[in-house]
Amino acid sequence: MYELRGVTKRYTRGKDTVHALDGVDLTIADGDRLVIQGPTGGGKSTLLQMLGALDRPSSGEVVLDGTDLAKLPEARLTRVRSESIGFVFQSFNLIPTLTAQENVETALVPLGVKAKERREKAAEALTSVGLGERLGHLPGEMSGGQQQRVAIARALVKQPKVLLADEPTGNLDESMRDEIMDVLDRMWKELGLTFVMVTHDSAIARKAPRLATIRKGRITVKENAEA
Amino acid sequence: MFFTYLRRELRRRRKAALVVASGLALGIALVIVVDSVSSGMGRAQDKVLQSLYGLGTDMTVTKAASPTPSTSDRPRFRFDAQEDGSEEEQSTDRVMVQGFQTLAGTTVGKVAGQDGVADAVGGLSLQVVKVSGQFTRGQFQQDGSGGQGQGGGPGAQQAPQGRVEGGGADFDVNSYSVYGTDVTEPALGPLTSSAITSGRTFKESEADAKVAVADSAYAKEKKLRTGSTVTIKGTKFEVVGIATADSGDAAANLYIPLKQAQTLGDAKDKVTTIYVKATDSQRIDGVKSAIQKNVPGTTVTTSADLADTVSGSLSTASSLAAGVGKWLSIVVLAAAFLVAGLLTSSAVSRRVREFGTLKALGWRSGRVTRQVVGEAVVNGLVGGVLGIALGLAGAYVVTAVSPTLQAQLGGGTGGPGGGFGGGGMGGPGRQAAAKTLDVALTAPVSLTTIALAVGLAVAGGLVAGGFGGWRASRLRPADALRRVE
Repeated sequence: MYELRGVTKRYTRGKDTVHALDGVDLTIADGDRLVIQGPTGGGKSTLLQMLGALDRPSSGEVVLDGTDLAKLPEARLTRVRSESIGFVFQSFNLIPTLTAQENVETALVPLGVKAKERREKAAEALTSVGLGERLGHLPGEMSGGQQQRVAIARALVKQPKVLLADEPTGNLDESMRDEIMDVLDRMWKELGLTFVMVTHDSAIARKAPRLATIRKGRITVKENAEA
Repeated sequence: MFFTYLRRELRRRRKAALVVASGLALGIALVIVVDSVSSGMGRAQDKVLQSLYGLGTDMTVTKAASPTPSTSDRPRFRFDAQEDGSEEEQSTDRVMVQGFQTLAGTTVGKVAGQDGVADAVGGLSLQVVKVSGQFTRGQFQQDGSGGQGQGGGPGAQQAPQGRVEGGGADFDVNSYSVYGTDVTEPALGPLTSSAITSGRTFKESEADAKVAVADSAYAKEKKLRTGSTVTIKGTKFEVVGIATADSGDAAANLYIPLKQAQTLGDAKDKVTTIYVKATDSQRIDGVKSAIQKNVPGTTVTTSADLADTVSGSLSTASSLAAGVGKWLSIVVLAAAFLVAGLLTSSAVSRRVREFGTLKALGWRSGRVTRQVVGEAVVNGLVGGVLGIALGLAGAYVVTAVSPTLQAQLGGGTGGPGGGFGGGGMGGPGRQAAAKTLDVALTAPVSLTTIALAVGLAVAGGLVAGGFGGWRASRLRPADALRRVE
């Protein structure tokens, strides 16, 4: 369970100070599915980075399961990321020289999983997203949708508590978008994840049970009865 | 995963890896060539020095320089003029001590008794000049007018008037060097720089025997063989062996037992040079100081002193290798390290998203840094292998071409019989003011040089990896991901 209290994030750009987040209060329950929307530069990605222990707030608390991430040393934050949080990025962020299977394995490396077990788990994860036949393919040999499925397999292979997705369908066409969303929805339901996704896509947002909107660093959350 | 990732990345960035490796290879190759050429110079110099004083000698002791000897010490030749028509050949030879400076034979014992001296042996260098030929008296031709007394006064006796016609001399001068060697100490002294190629060397029992060993070049010129006889100042010596110098010229034309040389040179119990072997090569300077302090009136010359007197193209090339070559290698290596570092750092900048993603997945900074350093070290090793191959090829070419270098020895220092200028360590054949020797340059590559190259390759990789790793370790995952958005 996430609890964000008065989270502020300021950046300095030259002489100006930018308030990416401005006193954000937010609670995300375990197994929740939250979609975040908002204009470009509104603070969506910054909020996701706070949730993913990728960055620290300038002030406020980011509490995950009772631990304030803002106060953890770097080594502990790294461990939290490796054990509890899965990321899916808009640009897939796969290592171009590694095969699909090896890319998925990179998520297990920091957990100290043995090579053989790593290979088995990676193959299993790729099979679960429909890429069981593409284990040895390089990212460059796959379509955008397939690459994003590899990224999803990489995020989920370590069985995290939380899945954070930053515009996961932003680089995909409509049919691929649906395909990826189907995979993500299925995983969310099957694995009981806490799933937070940033998107510009209103069609996706409409289906979300909770919808948060960030404008100029301020957040408003509403329940979606239709979803 | 480390090696898989490493292999794939190096394959993917072949060109960049090759640029880094080539830069390091160039620097390493230069180090190998300069090092091997320097080593070759050292060997050439050793060869030159060895040809002077033989194997095993660490220093020589000679009498300290003193003023030029008086004219009475100089050799004089006297011949009687022969009657006209006489074809009788006259000959006379003079045996002189080289440099006219000798030490008492007891000095050898004093030197041998110094702390740090393993062995000392004395030798006497002689120079023999033999003049032989015909000397005919001129004929006095009297003119008819009679003579006039020198006094011119009345009553003075009238001398016959006329002039001397004809007469003259037809002679040959043969000069050669003789070295009196201590036959009881065959392991030390100038004869050790030659190998016996025919016959035998001296026996210990031949301390006062009339036997000689001839230098092969001199033997060829004078048509001497084992069993031949040579006459020095009326004394006949049997040639028992022919010796060939290992390099350069031989130390003397003829070698005879020391006692015989002392008799011939009228230098009883005298030596010109004492050859000294130290107990430890690290103590040579100390031994030199001890001898100079405890045995007054002597000049001690070590091989290092002698090396200082080597001039000519060998010296110039040696200085170039030690100076320009060394600094050029250092500059090229430093540049190669810097370029490798900057290229690796630049490669990290291009891979910010990749490393940021890995950090987001939970990779510790140390693991990411290791990956970067690992890639750089492999680049360095590839550079090392290329550099070693290139360096070996360069050294091979130098050895194959074997450029000839000239070494001039003993130019200008020391007085007669003392120091190198006058021969000093030079021994009997080297008493001239300067001596020029031709030496072929080689470029031997030692295992130490190869180890140095490998060390430099690893160091180059670590330096480059250090640049890149430092940059990678400072990446924050959020910044890394933000930069690509």
